[in-house]
Amino acid sequence: MSLGDALKQRFYQVIGRLYTRFPALARGWGRRFEALSFEYVPFVRLEKPLRECRLALVTTGGVHLREQTPFDMRDPRGDASLRVIPATTDHERLSITHDYYDHSDAERDLNILFPLELFRDLARKRKIGALATCYSFMGHIEPPHVETLLKTTAPQVAGMLRQERVDAVLLTPA
Amino acid sequence: MGLIARSIEAAGIPTVSIIGLRDIAEKVRPPRAVHLKWPFGHPLGEPGKRDQQLATIHYALRALYDIRSPGTILDPGWPWRRQEYPVATTLDWELP
Repeated sequence: MSLGDALKQRFYQVIGRLYTRFPALARGWGRRFEALSFEYVPFVRLEKPLRECRLALVTTGGVHLREQTPFDMRDPRGDASLRVIPATTDHERLSITHDYYDHSDAERDLNILFPLELFRDLARKRKIGALATCYSFMGHIEPPHVETLLKTTAPQVAGMLRQERVDAVLLTPA
Repeated sequence: MGLIARSIEAAGIPTVSIIGLRDIAEKVRPPRAVHLKWPFGHPLGEPGKRDQQLATIHYALRALYDIRSPGTILDPGWPWRRQEYPVATTLDWELP
């Protein structure tokens, strides 16, 4: 890693922790952030009742199975790769690699970020049909990795969700 | 995250996103969003607070049906702390 990249990465780490402590600072950043901007919004209606729906969770909180390769924190522009998390995964088998926010609370109780357990409870109580395979990203992605996300990994997840006949998805950020 | 939600919805699967930063969501425009002004890393609430976590999930699942207009951002207005959550933690829920 170059010195410039190392400094940038350290800067993001410090800022990320500050934003976790002080949400108002994060909102200020959000106002200035040059996000991609869209007019058109894709939209499909959910026609089935929830008790018949297969639901999936997608997070950008950097969650992964302990045995999976962690997200790449050496690249300050982020990592657009994805991790497949089976629906039956116990929370104890999961870890978080994402240096740009404080995830100590999520490590104590993953239900605040990626609630596999709560969704399995909902399925047992027949409030939803089933929990399907879930997916995780690391949500700090800058060019050129945004391109990879848009053209490769996001459509890849969409394809896998379709293949598993998932009816609806809940997404949670870091 | 909005980009991923858009990609999934474009493939024909309805999505609902929890968001913490309204300004970004207004630009990226995920198909359906629930806005909560809570700290990073806590999209569904505090650790161990099952009522808060479940109320947020319940609200988001309802939003899958209640939002009729693409790009809508709902605002439950729940403060980070000291909020009573009107949801059964026994999961005896009425859902669409």
